[in-house]
Amino acid sequence: MTIAAMQGIVKRYGNELALDYVDLSIHEGEIIGLLGPNGAGKTTLIHTLLGMIPFDKGSIQLFGRTEKVFSHENKQKMGLVTQELTVFEDLTAKENLEFFAGVYGLKGEERKKRVEEALAFVGLSSNAGKTPAKFSGGMKRRLNIACALTHHPKFLIMDEPTVGIDPQSRNHILETVEKLREQGTTILYTTHYMEEVQTIASRVVIVDQGQIITEGTVNELIANIQHEEKINIDVSTPGDVPVERLKGLEGVKNVHVDGSTVQIISTVGSGNLDRVLSLVKETSGVVGIQAEKPDLEDVFLTLTGKQLRDGEEE
Amino acid sequence: MTIFTFALKRIFKDKTNLIFLTLFPVAAIFLPEPEYWPLLPYGYHYFGVLILFVGIRLTGLLVEDRQKGVVKRLAAAPVTHFQYLFQNLLAFSVIVIAQCIFMIAGGVIYDHELHEPLLLLILFIVFSFTAIALSLAWNSLYRNKETSFLVFMCVIIIMALLGGIMMPIEMLPDVLEQLAVIFPTYWLAEGMEWVVMGEDTADFLLINGVLLLYTLLFLIIGSIRRMG
Repeated sequence: MTIAAMQGIVKRYGNELALDYVDLSIHEGEIIGLLGPNGAGKTTLIHTLLGMIPFDKGSIQLFGRTEKVFSHENKQKMGLVTQELTVFEDLTAKENLEFFAGVYGLKGEERKKRVEEALAFVGLSSNAGKTPAKFSGGMKRRLNIACALTHHPKFLIMDEPTVGIDPQSRNHILETVEKLREQGTTILYTTHYMEEVQTIASRVVIVDQGQIITEGTVNELIANIQHEEKINIDVSTPGDVPVERLKGLEGVKNVHVDGSTVQIISTVGSGNLDRVLSLVKETSGVVGIQAEKPDLEDVFLTLTGKQLRDGEEE
Repeated sequence: MTIFTFALKRIFKDKTNLIFLTLFPVAAIFLPEPEYWPLLPYGYHYFGVLILFVGIRLTGLLVEDRQKGVVKRLAAAPVTHFQYLFQNLLAFSVIVIAQCIFMIAGGVIYDHELHEPLLLLILFIVFSFTAIALSLAWNSLYRNKETSFLVFMCVIIIMALLGGIMMPIEMLPDVLEQLAVIFPTYWLAEGMEWVVMGEDTADFLLINGVLLLYTLLFLIIGSIRRMG
């Protein structure tokens, strides 16, 4: 079932084109990793999808509705984890959750139950009575997430929820996202950290300059750009490496010896690792082996000519 | 009414707000009665200035929400910007009304000569609404709560001086005396004078009408800016 769909969405800020005919479908139970450098249009895309800003052209469908898409009924089913820490510093963690639960229409015992549940979910139960001012960066981020969970959204949009926190807190948040997926929540997760997307996303959408430049699973995206495999083998006697015999093996395109490292470049799917290894082992002695695999960073670099992390041109 | 409830909660959690809302009015009640000017006890004249300070303090919550991105987050929630503003303004209004009642009741108990306490209460409440609306409009110009408050403090002093709250307007040069009518504080001072010496009810209605018109105008200006 399609939870949300954007068709031909155009959004302009003056002369600047922020979204350029964006088409995107999000299906129930998916975690979509929306990846792109800073200023690529990720936040504009999600703000448009949430009805927070108007768009100039195109149409949006949410929960099967094409009319009154941003009705309160639909907003009730959605949650937003903002990039900024949008919590009240003067209220306790519990009061913050009570506020957002109340805004989403929860009352009385139900609200109390959901607030406790959300606090436990993000691991803040023991800090429920403290104000965010006394929290670490990671705890504040978790509270920011919990504020979007009390009303049990079917579709959760997380806008760079791990910006500026330590790796331990980041892992905690990623585990929380996994748990939400297990509960059946559909998630649109925007980030410019490709490791996060590689860990949690069932599908990746790459955005640059307001356009969706590609989408698919991590493996599909990598396969699309991968035309060769590289293996680096560290050997004990580099002088004895049988370069010509290695080149003669099926699938091997080239062999380089650099110091004590032999790099073997083969065509994708050649399946010659066993033969390569046994040959090097018997002549030169294998000390170590590394396979160079492309990742999303390479996908992004190949497609846009930019580094993912900072959006700077190479 | 979640936004309303939590607005009250947030206001009372702030210690500075508590001083503005409780300690200052109590101190104002105990200020002495003057010999010639003003016509009402000093504390009741200065209360007009206090109302302006309270207004900017209370509406500062909205700047804070905008600054923090809470307003943006609420735009994704099933609540309209109007509901957000209305519930916050309602909370501020409840507080200022309570403060005005406290001030008048305190004066009556302390046996101050307030002439027409009920009409003075109405005047203070109407002026409080103007002060909240003015602060809302003022705050909508700023991204930072502290800057807004600091600049507004100067504006309050100017309005109090030129409006006839801190000194008789007759002491001002002619040009400034004519200019004074543009300040809501002028109408408050006029209203206080009417409470002591006024006879024609239409004049009192006119004064309150002008203040309510100011309120409406400032509310419109203050509501235009949404997410920032």
